[in-house]
Amino acid sequence: MIEAFGSPFMQKAFIAGILVSVLTGIISVFIVLRKMSFIGAGISHAAFGGIAIGFFTGINPLLTAIIYSIVIAFGIESTSRKGRIAEDVSIGIFYSVSMAIGIAIVSMSKSYNVDLFGYLFGNILAITKGEILLTLITFMAVTSVIIIFLKELFLSTYNEELAKVSGIRVKFLNTLFLVALSVSIVISIRVVGIIMVSALLVIPGAAARLFAKSLLSMIVISCVVAFVSVIAGLLISYAYDIASGASIVITSAVIFFISLLFKKKI
Amino acid sequence: MSSAIIIEDLSVNIKGKDILKNINFTLEEGHFLGIVGPNGGGKTTLIKVILGLLTPSSGAVRIFGRNPELLLGKEEIFGYLPQHLNIDPNFPASAVDIVLMGRYKKAGFFKWPGKKDMEKAIGCMSLMGVENLKDIQYSQLSGGQQQRVSIARALAGDPRILVLDEPSTGIDVVGQEDFYHLLKGLQKKMNLTILMVSHDIGTVTAYVDEISCLNINLYYHGNPLGALNENVMTSLYGKNVDLLMHTDVCDKCERLRTP
Repeated sequence: MIEAFGSPFMQKAFIAGILVSVLTGIISVFIVLRKMSFIGAGISHAAFGGIAIGFFTGINPLLTAIIYSIVIAFGIESTSRKGRIAEDVSIGIFYSVSMAIGIAIVSMSKSYNVDLFGYLFGNILAITKGEILLTLITFMAVTSVIIIFLKELFLSTYNEELAKVSGIRVKFLNTLFLVALSVSIVISIRVVGIIMVSALLVIPGAAARLFAKSLLSMIVISCVVAFVSVIAGLLISYAYDIASGASIVITSAVIFFISLLFKKKI
Repeated sequence: MSSAIIIEDLSVNIKGKDILKNINFTLEEGHFLGIVGPNGGGKTTLIKVILGLLTPSSGAVRIFGRNPELLLGKEEIFGYLPQHLNIDPNFPASAVDIVLMGRYKKAGFFKWPGKKDMEKAIGCMSLMGVENLKDIQYSQLSGGQQQRVSIARALAGDPRILVLDEPSTGIDVVGQEDFYHLLKGLQKKMNLTILMVSHDIGTVTAYVDEISCLNINLYYHGNPLGALNENVMTSLYGKNVDLLMHTDVCDKCERLRTP
């Protein structure tokens, strides 16, 4: 398994994997505390529509998916706010329609050489240098936004009204977080795949919440869980030729259930 | 003495429905006001307008002479205790972390509260008698303890007006009375203006300086004992209301009350 670190494919996979794990580790904390796991799952499935548009137009699918998923995230938000529909209903509609559009586009384009399986379940071998760069830029943008607004995010997670009274622009902050979430989801698709990215958005934060006594410790534990899951998952994927998304998610689930057992003993 | 809150001809109308209608009152600085009335009577809406979170349909609100919506985010005047603080059982914050949230604004953008803020936070906790709980996880505290910690949080920002929305929910009667005594003490010690929404008119009248009886219209504003007449009560709650009075002389319980 040591030779995995020497292969250029795997080196790229590890770089992307490390960036993605820290990114989802941080985002996951707020997904769990703000109870947004369903919107995370919704946006990631909806991203499939954006990826299909990329196939069709010849633009890098990750780029089209980023724009598409931001639009969908706002669509979910505004229909559930203005249209007086419950948010889960709105998510259910948007993500299934997006996937339908995606499948329609893929079947129309008749290009069977597209790596559909890779996008759905993660394919580390397909990561290009340009995508590593895109991942790095996203990583820096999202982590700095969260670090800058960390205490405002924490206060508005604790209680939105309280945050408003102390002068925090909660609406702006929610929008910013939604964009950060959408971008992080799309960036993680190469490594874990559309179907399984939502697990990486929930499991690290959920495991961290079992033990964390403060926000900072929750972020650290969550990042460690995500990091270990991604690295171990990538190695397993390399050794047994399994789709990386599957091995990463299974690893993180094992960590989660072991944590749960430990928590009960404490 | 300046007026902390002036409300003139205030009406709030949401989607064609009157929530508040022609409300007028003034609250002087350092006074303790109780707002009572039935559910759906507009108590929480009135608080939101005063805090600057909701724009009134007509009329004016002045907080120390200024528009509350413009004060929002500029100056810290309010210490606020929201009605619902249903907190996640694993929320990652100790009691003192919660109190420190009251210092976020003072700490400034992109800066976490420092040593001075920590001293202030601990000071407010000891004022509320919860200093010994500071390192315990907030979510593991009892309802009454959480409430005291939350008030310490509200006080940590050095507010001039303390706004409490139904603070006694989920606390037993004996605990409630201790709590009102504590508030009364704060009011005197810090010259704090206090605005408290409550559905428990019987208890509130024993502690507040003024009372507002609200059910869309303001049926009464003034001395608390004056609210206890049949006409006001009928306007608020309908006919046949039995009132349970609480005064400082209590012959049912033998607990000694410390002033």
